Amino acid sequence: MNSTPETRLSLLIRVRDPADHQAWLEFIEIYRPVIIRLARRQGMQEADAEDVAQTVLISVAKSIESREHDRQQARFRTWLTRVARNAILNALMRRKPDRAVGGSDLHPSLDQSESDRHRDSELLRLEFRREVFRWGARQIKSEFEPATWDAFWLTTVEDRSCEDAAKIIGKPIGTIYTARSRVMRRLKEKVTEYDCAEGVS
Amino acid sequence: MNQKQIACDPRRISLFFRQQLTEDEQSLFERHLEGCQKCRDDLEFEAAHAEDWSLARDSLSSETIEPVEFQSPSPVPLSGWYPADRTDAALSFLSPTDDPRMIGRLGAYEIVGIIGQGGMGIVLKGLDPALNRYVAIKVLAPHLAASGSARLRFAREAKAAAAVTHENVVAIHGVSEWNGLPYLVMPYVRGESLQKRLDQCGMCELSEILRVGRQVAAGLTAAHVQGLVHRDIKPANILLEDGVERLKITDFGLARAVDDASLTRTGVIAGTPQFMSPEQARGEAIDARSDLFSLGSVLYAMSTGRPPFRAETSYGILRRITDTEPRPIQEVNPSIPEWLVVIIGRLHAKNVALRFETAHEVAEVFEQCLAHIQHPTVVPLPAICQKRATRSSTQQLLKVTGAIIASLLISTLLWQLWPGSDHRRRNTAADLPLEKSSSSADLKVGIVELPTSPNSDISKHEPVVSNAPLDWDTTAQEIQQLQQENSEFNQRVNRIWDD
Repeated sequence: MNSTPETRLSLLIRVRDPADHQAWLEFIEIYRPVIIRLARRQGMQEADAEDVAQTVLISVAKSIESREHDRQQARFRTWLTRVARNAILNALMRRKPDRAVGGSDLHPSLDQSESDRHRDSELLRLEFRREVFRWGARQIKSEFEPATWDAFWLTTVEDRSCEDAAKIIGKPIGTIYTARSRVMRRLKEKVTEYDCAEGVS
Repeated sequence: MNQKQIACDPRRISLFFRQQLTEDEQSLFERHLEGCQKCRDDLEFEAAHAEDWSLARDSLSSETIEPVEFQSPSPVPLSGWYPADRTDAALSFLSPTDDPRMIGRLGAYEIVGIIGQGGMGIVLKGLDPALNRYVAIKVLAPHLAASGSARLRFAREAKAAAAVTHENVVAIHGVSEWNGLPYLVMPYVRGESLQKRLDQCGMCELSEILRVGRQVAAGLTAAHVQGLVHRDIKPANILLEDGVERLKITDFGLARAVDDASLTRTGVIAGTPQFMSPEQARGEAIDARSDLFSLGSVLYAMSTGRPPFRAETSYGILRRITDTEPRPIQEVNPSIPEWLVVIIGRLHAKNVALRFETAHEVAEVFEQCLAHIQHPTVVPLPAICQKRATRSSTQQLLKVTGAIIASLLISTLLWQLWPGSDHRRRNTAADLPLEKSSSSADLKVGIVELPTSPNSDISKHEPVVSNAPLDWDTTAQEIQQLQQENSEFNQRVNRIWDD
């Protein structure tokens, strides 16, 4: 595929209404990695996965251009999510047959592809949730003192005990407990905020 | 401070999350947590459900959280992967050299100094000891080299570019890697870039514009034939070796490597998008004709002293490229001849299909233009330059014809109306082809019929004397309608010609 000088800006150019810019930028930030991860999971090379992400985003961007008539029906974010999920599932489904060749099931029934799609859809949902958490973490990190953040990171992400973390950071263990909970609470808030704005679960 | 243990109090946890504990209360609470497993559990549960905790762990453990540089449309970082005062750091990848006149060594090359640095990397001046000649070495910036796909692309594009041999394309001696940083070796070109020249002199002479146009088009031809699109034609990538007499295009296809890297990193455009084509700006698939648009922008900049699409932010620039026409060249610089405006206009067509088809065609056009300005009487301008002229005169002719026909129609009508009855008037109006051509599908019929039928009508209509009173109101209306239709007709004709 002829990949192009691609940037968020060139995708942004598609969105005519400046009010939608922020939503669109956020959307790309979250969905690009989601698509790449899903594609990688299907055994694609990094560069190919990026190409798929590119293709999907461009196709979504194209539908934004022809969206005018849909304006009252759905809010931009909700609409975007719907279009994107379909585009992603289609892009990833299309690649499936390559892999299925030589498989034990020689006559994949309609049910099969239906359940495939269902499974993909679940996978997409999960990957998306994860990405929203990553996004949320990036958003809120700067709100905390480094020590507070570290308390959360060590005990939650790196799975260390609070005793260990207390030693590493050099704070009482009680402080570690409050710190990690405060960050987690804020992260959850941020994620919920996104979900509400998105209008999806 | 109170050393006493305090009792469990579930309300304290919610107060803590609402940040309504005093500092003292908070430290008491923290002290309490040291010994109370129940409150620890409650605190954890209040913060988020178990599944959210595990989701946080799953999602965040697969990456280190680096804040993503990500603002809505931001000014473009024009150059620099190192601040100017950190050139030492920029060169830290060099190996020590034994030669005191050199600043370091890279592979087999002794490095003499830095030629420049840009969005993609640093350009060094090196000495090739084997051949005892100076070379320019372009090293991919470390932050770009960190991206595997960018590194691969850099190597791949450089190898493709190395296959292009043309006097107007900078040759590539070799591609290699040093301490994980890919670099490519080119001949050392003494001279300045077209950008530098534009910065210093502003507008260029007609002959200079034509020379640059011809040579860039010739260089592009050689690359396009090999299927290689430059993607980043701009004055900074055009090196003037010997004034405008001999120039070389540099950085073939390398824009792509930068895109790969910026795509996976921050998504900020590396370099200026000012010379991008509309299809590039929209992130669509591009072909060789994208380079032709960029060449159009370069020649525009030479003609007027400023790039055609300007805005405060790169987003603004992209928007202008896709949506607007640049200010007419002759408004800025009246000394540019109409025929050059026509050529640049063709290069600048937003619709790819309306541009020149190949760089070769463009090179030939400029070749002939150059010959023309040297021997205006012997060599005519290329046909494409005359097109606009013939077109506008044809257009002019049509307008005149239209006006004549309209006045004929009106006078016919008047002739008839003077004595005519109501019944007769209606018939006449119905005979006129224009009356029927209200939809665009009918328009063509109208055009075909127009020159013959009204005229033949005229000959038929003899003035008839009648005593019947004239209905002036209706007549005035009909005349107005005819005039309106005539002007609509003219507009449509113009549109058809413009398309």
